[in-house]
Amino acid sequence: MTDKPDDHMIVFEDVSKFYGEILGVNRVTLAIEPGITSLVGPNGSGKTTLMNLMTGLIRPTRGRVSVLGLRPDHPEVFFSKVGYCSQFDSFPSALTGFQFIYSYLRVHGRPKKEAQELAWKALHRVDLLEAAHRKIAAYSKGMRQRVRFAQAIAHEPAVMILDEPLNGLDPMARAETIRLFRQLAEEGLHLIISSHILHEVNDMSDTVILLNNGYVVAEGAIQGVRDEMEEHPMQILIRCDRPGLLAARVFEQDSVVEAKIHKDKHGLFVKTRDADAFYLLLNTIVVQDGLNVESVAPADDDLNAVYQYLIGGGEGA
Amino acid sequence: MAVHEHAYKPYAGPLTPVWSRFLIIPRHAYRDVFASKLYTALFALCFVCPLVMAILIYLHHNLTAMAALSISLKDIVPINGFFFQFFVGTQTFFAFVLTVLMGPPLISRDLANNALPLYLCRPFSRAEYVIGKMSVLLILISAITWIPGELLFLFQSYLEGAGWAASNLWIAGAVFVGSWTWILLLAMLSVTISAWVKWRLAASAALFGLFIISNAIGFMVNGVLQTRWGGLFNLTFIMKTIEDSLFRAPNSAGLPSWMVLPTSAAWIMLALFLAFCLFLLTRRVRAYEVVR
Amino acid sequence: MENAINSSVEPLASVAILSEGSDEPAKLAEPVIHLDGLSVQFGGRPILKELRGELRGRAIGLLGPNGAGKTTLIHTLLGFHPPSSGTAHIFGRDIRKEAKPIRTQIGYLPERDSFIANMTCVHFVRLMAELSGLPSEAALERAHEALFYVGLGEARYRQLGTYSLGMKQLAKLAQAIVHGPRLIFLDEPTNGLDPPARQRMIELVRQIRDSGKAHILLSSHLLRDVEECCEEILIIKDGSIAVYCNLEEERRANRKFLELETRGDREAFVEAIGSLGCEYALTSERRLKLVLQNDVDIRDLYQLAGAHKVQIRRLNFKRDSLEDIFLKAMESGNGDGNRAAGMREGGK
Repeated sequence: MTDKPDDHMIVFEDVSKFYGEILGVNRVTLAIEPGITSLVGPNGSGKTTLMNLMTGLIRPTRGRVSVLGLRPDHPEVFFSKVGYCSQFDSFPSALTGFQFIYSYLRVHGRPKKEAQELAWKALHRVDLLEAAHRKIAAYSKGMRQRVRFAQAIAHEPAVMILDEPLNGLDPMARAETIRLFRQLAEEGLHLIISSHILHEVNDMSDTVILLNNGYVVAEGAIQGVRDEMEEHPMQILIRCDRPGLLAARVFEQDSVVEAKIHKDKHGLFVKTRDADAFYLLLNTIVVQDGLNVESVAPADDDLNAVYQYLIGGGEGA
Repeated sequence: MAVHEHAYKPYAGPLTPVWSRFLIIPRHAYRDVFASKLYTALFALCFVCPLVMAILIYLHHNLTAMAALSISLKDIVPINGFFFQFFVGTQTFFAFVLTVLMGPPLISRDLANNALPLYLCRPFSRAEYVIGKMSVLLILISAITWIPGELLFLFQSYLEGAGWAASNLWIAGAVFVGSWTWILLLAMLSVTISAWVKWRLAASAALFGLFIISNAIGFMVNGVLQTRWGGLFNLTFIMKTIEDSLFRAPNSAGLPSWMVLPTSAAWIMLALFLAFCLFLLTRRVRAYEVVR
Repeated sequence: MENAINSSVEPLASVAILSEGSDEPAKLAEPVIHLDGLSVQFGGRPILKELRGELRGRAIGLLGPNGAGKTTLIHTLLGFHPPSSGTAHIFGRDIRKEAKPIRTQIGYLPERDSFIANMTCVHFVRLMAELSGLPSEAALERAHEALFYVGLGEARYRQLGTYSLGMKQLAKLAQAIVHGPRLIFLDEPTNGLDPPARQRMIELVRQIRDSGKAHILLSSHLLRDVEECCEEILIIKDGSIAVYCNLEEERRANRKFLELETRGDREAFVEAIGSLGCEYALTSERRLKLVLQNDVDIRDLYQLAGAHKVQIRRLNFKRDSLEDIFLKAMESGNGDGNRAAGMREGGK
């Protein structure tokens, strides 16, 4: 165990959580730095359990959780540093947006005036100022998502734990919210975000944690995760007019492991263990055989591919 | 070897007639209901009274049987208006029990998880939906009220002769109309309560409570305003008044005469009450809610 | 800046739509949805404002910010809500007058949870099939077929209340297709699904589209989903049509702009491109954009790459992605985009 103070990190030390016989997470060890960390994995893989452990809503069956050096045993201090935005869409239906956030802040112990200011500030941040005095029951799905988020940041926490925060938001709101996340990350906050939309996770996260069946199957910086999977040869898609010809030519190289023609007969998937050599070979093939190339792209350089490799297609229903 | 591809296929076969679609709902409901032994037993129990009454009618006309049981004609109740009114009264009690058990989940199940849009995005209107749900009870309660009732009437007419039937035809009418007023009331009440109250227990309680509270309100109004028109708020009283008038037995409960209300007032109140229930229903039975 | 394309080109759909039971030979494909000045108000507040247009594609995407009126449009087409003025036609039938016959041909996958908790999935889908007019046995058969098609196996005998989110979405899809409708409204079908389930759903949508037997209207906030399935896009903003666009057309147009990602010694390579006469711009350490001159083609680029020992790691024609189109639509003023999509300008 490291002996440096981890009061700027979220630490899981060999944590397990069981609900009776049912597994939540098993033997998880993590050290999460500030910035945006995404939790990715199928439903039931332990994401919500992990988040609940971080917010202190549940206690681990074994192991130790500490958030910025604090243990969940001291809730007053703990909860002032942690903000949580759940995925569930339920509200006290009679409240307006402003009342919802204000009352939450008051429960936190903030004096009236401060609570009001912070509430308005939070509403401003999520762009809900005009709708603040309408009942939440009248909000659209996206607005409800935003008001939940506002409630999570209102008390200016240092750690934000967000369960599928972009659910229901239209494309512009998504882009803005992601910008907001990046802003908060730059201010030094920890943002732990769970999401199913892999290309967004790809674009916005600093690190990613992949979970499956209660285990952490991979974690690290997005770029790095793919590179570490050397045993998986790199897959490249080349769209061209004569994939068959290309297929025959690529096997001149030993490091090419597989070539597969795309369903629509206008492309070739090539798996190779030596991407550099392959690309150079491609240069000559195109010129020599007069190939009409439409596009070239790595087919698995992203989170989607990593997910497929490590977690796979999931169980049939 | 042939490999069969299962692609998306449209449906090209015949469709069922449009008017009969509302019956889909009771059909599916009965599958669930009669799968339960409890309900089936209870439903069977509802036929005990008609059976007993049929036996009584039979005994009335069968001296040998009477002798065998060593009873005389005057011991058995006479078959007249009271006889049938008693029948309707008993059976509507059982109908009430059935309603309390089967009424609450009718619409609340669909509203609980927002299934209504799936009903209404089909060639199926809100009216058909409501009528379909009400039919679950309409059909069942008919089976234990006016249907056996009319059968009993026919049985009696058969044994007693056409003359009796002719002079007592009003009884057949009374059984029919009397049953249907109760049937409509119970069905309408249960779908309305089911549409507004989520929990089964609460809905059953609401059904009971409605009668009890309306009773109380009636008496309070009478007491406070020193009038007899409070009775109009009393559901049980209204229904009793209607039944009494149908069976030509005014004030059969023997209440003080100043409390008796004109029948027309009772009918009007009933109609208003049903209309109010209908209004409440339309507020809840819709494909989506608009909250301002 | 407008991006609306007046589609006077032939409709993309390779399916000629025959009117039901008509003896006419296959006429020019009838629009799937024809909006004719459709307006909808809620309590005096206008939600949809005089929508006009014709949609013909196999898969039509419906996009727009929250509150723009997408759901209201779907609800109005389904007949849940009457239009305050104007009307629309689905497969040639007026939604105001022929709501019930229309609904026989429509399937709907709602965005919100929609199920009956203590009913088994088979019973539920069968009930829905019967309500659409199928006789009882046919309904049971088709229910099983639909459940097989969407991939719900043994689970179909369990109660819907026990289902996970992904399974509920599949159940919703099953009830939307069980009666074999010609037009299926899908409202956020991948909502909350994890990546493999999402891919399965998209694959199913594509299969249904490719079967040629049904049209799809997909409403979603996930632009990727729409891009992967739809050929036509309708973007709604503030109750009016902001953009109508045909993605296939977009993809086919514009063959001159390229984006490259390279590895290797880029400088010499890039200079050589310049000397061919192509304009270029370096967008990052490894990426660049360039414009192909008329006499230059990709092979020439590869020749240069080979000569300078540079790897071309990525290459694609730059075209507006759906995201660009959407953002442009949101920034531009509204109202103009409400031109008749699919109709000629000036005189109808």
